[in-house]
Amino acid sequence: MEKLTFYALSAPEKLDRIGAYLSERLSRDVSRHRYGYVCIAMEALDQLLMACHCQSINLFVESFLKMVAKLLESEKPNLQILGTNSFVKFANIEEDTPSYHRSYDFFVSRFSEMCHSSYEDMEIRTKIRMAGIKGLQGVVRKTVNDELQANIWDPQHMDKIVPSLLYNLQQVEETESRSPSPLQNTEKEKEIPAELAERCLRELLGRAAYGNIKNAIKPVLMHLDNHSLWEPKVFAIRCFKIIMYSIQPQHSHLVIQQLLSHLDANSKSAATVRAGIVEVLSEAAVIAATGSVGPTVLEVFNTLLRQLRLSIDYELTGSYDSAVNIGTKIIKEHEERMFQEAVIKTIGSFASTLPAYQRSEVMLFIMGKVPLPSMHHPMEHGKAGESRNRLIQIMLLKSLLQVSLGFQCSNMLTALPSSFLDPLLSPTLMEDAELRLFVLEILVSLIDRHDSRHKFSSISTVPDIAVLKLKVDKCSRQDTLFMKKHSQQLYRHIYLSCNDPCNVQTHYEALYALLVMISIELANEEVVVDLIRLVLAVQDLALSNDDNLPAYNRCALHALCAAYLNLISQLTTVPAFCQHIHEVIEMRQKDGSYLLPEDIFVEKPRWSKSADHIETELLFLQSKVSEVLGGSGYNSDRLSTPYVPQLTDEDRLSKRKSIGETMSLQVEVESRNSPEKEEKAPAEEITFETLKKAIVDSVAVEEQERERRRQVVEKFQKAPFEEIAAHCGARASLLQSKLNQIFELTIRPPPSPSGTITAAYGQSQNHSIPVYEMKFPDLCVY
Amino acid sequence: MSMEDYDFLFKIVLIGNAGVGKTCLVRRFTQGLFPPGQGATIGVDFMIKTVEIKGEKIKLQIWDTAGQERFRSITQSYYRSANALILTYDITCEESFRCLPEWLREIEQYANNEVITVLVGNKIDLAERREVSQQRAEEFAGSQNMYYLETSAKESDNVEKLFLDLACRLISEARQNALVNNVDSSLPGEGKTISYLNCCNFN
Repeated sequence: MEKLTFYALSAPEKLDRIGAYLSERLSRDVSRHRYGYVCIAMEALDQLLMACHCQSINLFVESFLKMVAKLLESEKPNLQILGTNSFVKFANIEEDTPSYHRSYDFFVSRFSEMCHSSYEDMEIRTKIRMAGIKGLQGVVRKTVNDELQANIWDPQHMDKIVPSLLYNLQQVEETESRSPSPLQNTEKEKEIPAELAERCLRELLGRAAYGNIKNAIKPVLMHLDNHSLWEPKVFAIRCFKIIMYSIQPQHSHLVIQQLLSHLDANSKSAATVRAGIVEVLSEAAVIAATGSVGPTVLEVFNTLLRQLRLSIDYELTGSYDSAVNIGTKIIKEHEERMFQEAVIKTIGSFASTLPAYQRSEVMLFIMGKVPLPSMHHPMEHGKAGESRNRLIQIMLLKSLLQVSLGFQCSNMLTALPSSFLDPLLSPTLMEDAELRLFVLEILVSLIDRHDSRHKFSSISTVPDIAVLKLKVDKCSRQDTLFMKKHSQQLYRHIYLSCNDPCNVQTHYEALYALLVMISIELANEEVVVDLIRLVLAVQDLALSNDDNLPAYNRCALHALCAAYLNLISQLTTVPAFCQHIHEVIEMRQKDGSYLLPEDIFVEKPRWSKSADHIETELLFLQSKVSEVLGGSGYNSDRLSTPYVPQLTDEDRLSKRKSIGETMSLQVEVESRNSPEKEEKAPAEEITFETLKKAIVDSVAVEEQERERRRQVVEKFQKAPFEEIAAHCGARASLLQSKLNQIFELTIRPPPSPSGTITAAYGQSQNHSIPVYEMKFPDLCVY
Repeated sequence: MSMEDYDFLFKIVLIGNAGVGKTCLVRRFTQGLFPPGQGATIGVDFMIKTVEIKGEKIKLQIWDTAGQERFRSITQSYYRSANALILTYDITCEESFRCLPEWLREIEQYANNEVITVLVGNKIDLAERREVSQQRAEEFAGSQNMYYLETSAKESDNVEKLFLDLACRLISEARQNALVNNVDSSLPGEGKTISYLNCCNFN
């Protein structure tokens, strides 16, 4: 042997002749079943191959490969394995000369076939399969970097290689329970085809270039489809984890795209399949986070949302619309639900990988998809349309919530533009209890930037908030701006949300959290004052009971106020304020524990039916609060003004419409139990009240009153909202004191300040209807 | 070169529903045995057999595919390089016959245009349980331009004939092609090494 090697080395030009001779010998031996000689010949070929690194190796390789092929053609497993081993040795040699006319078609086919070996003897079967995988690895190594080779990335090769690897990968899960300890595993590593297959797959994918990814992923998807492996999804997830971790990071978005288009292609498959794909997608997305997901972000969300809508349609109609052959499949509602949950989860995990600016973009995008009556989206009418709308709203809000979770924006103003806030706070989303809760939760998680939400998951009156270890940063300039712009909207939303009889504990908890979040994240002095006013107004709401809230809700509101005031008093660190709050809470503990969160927000709430008559000691008094806070430099004038929600554009629109309605309603509906009444915003209530009074007085007055109102409404509508709000805010206290003055003097004509409000005011003054005027400031200011 | 041990090499792929007897046909032909209780093929199986026709050595590379749906994607990848396809159905199983158009669609989609397709009705030893009449099958084969043959892997009826006829047909086809484009005379299987076998690239 040594002689032969030496000869070959010294006379490289003879190498091809040697090869030819050896291979001829070998093929003869194979056919004559003289396996001993076969082994020797192969050994010789191997050694020559290893020894000769010269140029002339090319021709020798021809006969070498032919021999390997010959061995692979044999039925004997030993020969197959022998051939493979030689091939692997060959594959590890770096060739420096190009080989133009070598084709590995047969090898790919044969090795793939070996990967699927079903030889009776388990041990031998494993060996053959191992050999197959190694062989494929060899082919890949050999060809992947060689541009002259038949392209290994062609679908015709990939379709063989990838499923073969996956098939072996998947075998472990079926045969072994994955129980052996890690130590054993490392020992046995060489014995398990799956391990090898995994390594091979990683190697393959790691070498994939941009243009080849698609060809490599497609067979994976096909394989998972064909073997219905989306459903238990463990394997699918494992596969894609391998893929995502081994491909070059800059290509990872390609995989995501492939998955998405596969999802689209499967949009008529069973929900479980789609859920599997989506789940895989979400896992993959998290991994893709390191590489950028690229400009296709919105496309990703678009696809997911489209799938969500489709699924809702399926659920409602109970069939895939263009059911040709698949129509017989029965749609299982809970499966669709699972799918929807999976999509929402995926949306969340996708979003969590995005930078802040893209996140707010995405939120805006999702918000734009929420069907709202006033938006350009056509609402579907009819009962089916309504339930569909509601489902879509719920799903999209859920998605939004997912996106907003853990979203920490530095700048509220850019994160929550009015184009996002306006639809989110729109009244349509307030009517339904579930939707309302989502909106609140979204707001909470958006405002919460220090992850303090969980500290306020239940409502309580903590005697010392130091235990919560709150992080309170100074409110930044942008945040102040944000609050200037949107605070009234937020307050109004909170106020109106409080005033809903369908609220349950979770709603109150969310409201509490929202109040707290605003106070710790966005509060400056002005905001604190406003929040206290707001909460006191909520207390009045519970007290006056204009909307006939059930006793539970009223007690809950009281408890909410107590909890919040307790917190804010300690945040402001004004001792007198703290004291007042503390006193009231103590009083309640003694005489009215049903007004405290500890009694109301528990599993079995205890509340009193007698919520109508609450002693003043048990209440937080506006006058007292403004007095103590005024002493510490807070704007006491402002504090002593009761909070009344502002109207939004939409409200004003609906109000105009509802004037006529209210007219007819008020005659019949004396008791305010009718549901329509309860749903109406307090602003409209004033309409009712005033009209009622007006009618009692005289028809003529009513006429005038309506005329006047129309003017006011028009004025407000024509002026931009911000202007009015600013105007009102600035003048609120001034106007209030003026009004008080006037009311005392009743008849004396007012000093007429300029501006729209006063104009309207002056007009009504002429009518001199005191009862009505008492209500008037509310209407006028807001 | 003298060292070549064959004159022609052809790739034959067997396809058809699961359980129609593809593996048994191949086994009967290559090994001369009928394995009772043959399990379902996993993925693909490979056999080789060299036959001699009119003094010419013909090497047949036989790829026996799994009929099961779940392996469809890997089996499809083998159609492409096939010189001939043996589309098998079970004469005692109406279902396997009714699936034939579907298989033809697959062939259309994945296989080479020049591929020769043979329709085989297997299991004629179970004649008393026949569900698909010979006439019907012949008509079908005729309408699709396929050769038709009925076999029994168990009794070894027509199995030899099936492969040998196919080999003859492949030879004449190959010769014809060689005449047509004799400039590039890469006859199927006539290449020097196995690596030359891009015989499916007639286009």
